[in-house]
Amino acid sequence: MKKVLFTGLVVGLGAIVACQAPASKAEQKAEKPAKKMSKEEKFRAALAKQDKYQKACSNEKQLIPEGISIEQFKKDMLATIKYPEGGVVGDWKKGEKLFGDPKKGGKGLGNCYACHCGDPSIIACGNIGPSLTGYGKSGADPKVTYQRIYNPWSVNPCSAMFRFGVHGILSPEQIAHITAFLHDPNSPINK
Amino acid sequence: MKSKKFLIGLALVGGVAVGFSADVPTPDQVKQLKEMGILPSDVIVDEGNDYFHNLKGPNGKTCASCHGQDGAKLVGAYAKMPRYYKDIDKVADIDIRIKACMTKYMGFPKDKKFKKKFTKKYRVPLAGYVATLSNGMKINVTLDDPQEKEMYEFGKKLWYQRVGGRDLSCAICHEVYAGYRIRLQKLGAPVRDKLYAHWPAYRFSKDKLWTMEDRIRGCYKSYFLYLGKKWDKKKDWVKKPPYYMKELVALELFMKKAANGATVEVPGLLR
Ligand code: HEC
Ligand code: HEC
Repeated sequence: MKKVLFTGLVVGLGAIVACQAPASKAEQKAEKPAKKMSKEEKFRAALAKQDKYQKACSNEKQLIPEGISIEQFKKDMLATIKYPEGGVVGDWKKGEKLFGDPKKGGKGLGNCYACHCGDPSIIACGNIGPSLTGYGKSGADPKVTYQRIYNPWSVNPCSAMFRFGVHGILSPEQIAHITAFLHDPNSPINK
Repeated sequence: MKSKKFLIGLALVGGVAVGFSADVPTPDQVKQLKEMGILPSDVIVDEGNDYFHNLKGPNGKTCASCHGQDGAKLVGAYAKMPRYYKDIDKVADIDIRIKACMTKYMGFPKDKKFKKKFTKKYRVPLAGYVATLSNGMKINVTLDDPQEKEMYEFGKKLWYQRVGGRDLSCAICHEVYAGYRIRLQKLGAPVRDKLYAHWPAYRFSKDKLWTMEDRIRGCYKSYFLYLGKKWDKKKDWVKKPPYYMKELVALELFMKKAANGATVEVPGLLR
């Protein structure tokens, strides 16, 4: 019985990931047994929740394998993106905190400094992604910036930069604030 | 216990004296500390040595009762781990192997309470001690048993598996971006550079000796694994795999096999 429930749960979660639809009643029901699972079962179920796009990237090159259309992959990823009502450019000051609060040594929900340099006053920054200092002057379209934070795989499939919006790590509004931080001429990124 | 704290205090004072602040001691400084005989990692290993010889199980046996004074019969054992053990019919890493010995041969109960005590108290010192018995020897993990082969393949799959709220894999950090910086931390290449040779390792920043199980669990935390509809920091972040899971052993076997030929030099010393 336990096993049946468990399999049902994994399948249910898989479906949610695959279609990104709001949870139906049946799916909510399926999520319930999570509380009764052991830690081992939870860990395994979380690993099994790999979506088909993650699966495609799970090879030795960590890139899209041959036989899968890159264009289709990007299209699928673009289709996951939701936009905030107030537009893709929010409040840069809020964005600064989310990107990495200077008062907290550049830490914040987005944790962007882990991989990118940006505000030149934050020295503790990673180099996995390109430096974003001066980014707003590059002429990038804010809508594309928004998209590549919400779902970087819509531009660069299998990128090390994760799909913040897809997984709900950042909300559409929060991503708009970060977009503002990257584009606003008054933001320390562009000073 | 008292002596341990005292020695660590000394080591830190010593550390300041030889001039390292909070970060990585240079090899010269480590050498100096070693000569002064005050490496905190050694204190933990000594604690393991003490348990090995003096900690009696409910049936009166110690580790040394089976494995000899000074672990004479365990010299080189760690260089071949993880591997398949017939008596417990599974592929075990050092943590699991020691736990199995204590419950199967020393009479410790196979219950939650002992498991917890083992994990928190005995595991690291004993693993550290047993690992040092292979110092200077070459890592030589073979995949002779079918269970080992299966475990290796499973480990390889996990190594490349992109998963979780951050779409991560071990490989993205430790292969594709090895050598790059996450914030200020340099990402090592455990597979390419055979880093297993210095594990278990002592981390100055945490004042802790870690076995590879601890290391991998820590790395999984960064994946943001979750079960619900969206990742939620407060609700259902599946932070770490529990100790002794097959998944950990599989990744260990995968990385250790890659380190074949490297010389065991433990405990390693990290930032
Ligand atoms: C795990 C590493 C990682 C994290 C964390 C990360 N990024 Fe990235 N980022 C990358 C990589 C790698 C690239 C280049 C490949 C790509 O475009 O996906 C990139 C590219 C970008 C670009 C495009 C740069 C250009 O020159 O066109 C922007 C903008 C960006 N990231 C913003 C962000 C923001 C904002 C955050 C935090 C909310 C963030 N990144 C967090 C790794 C990361
Ligand atoms: C988001 C990036 C990230 C991911 C993903 C990641 N790690 Fe790590 N790993 C790190 C960092 C950062 C360190 C170094 C931490 C430190 O300085 O103590 C590290 C250290 C290690 C080390 C020790 C290297 C040494 O110097 O001896 C090993 C081994 C390791 N990781 C294995 C793994 C395995 C196995 C996985 C997958 C289950 C994994 N890591 C996933 C970031 C990551």
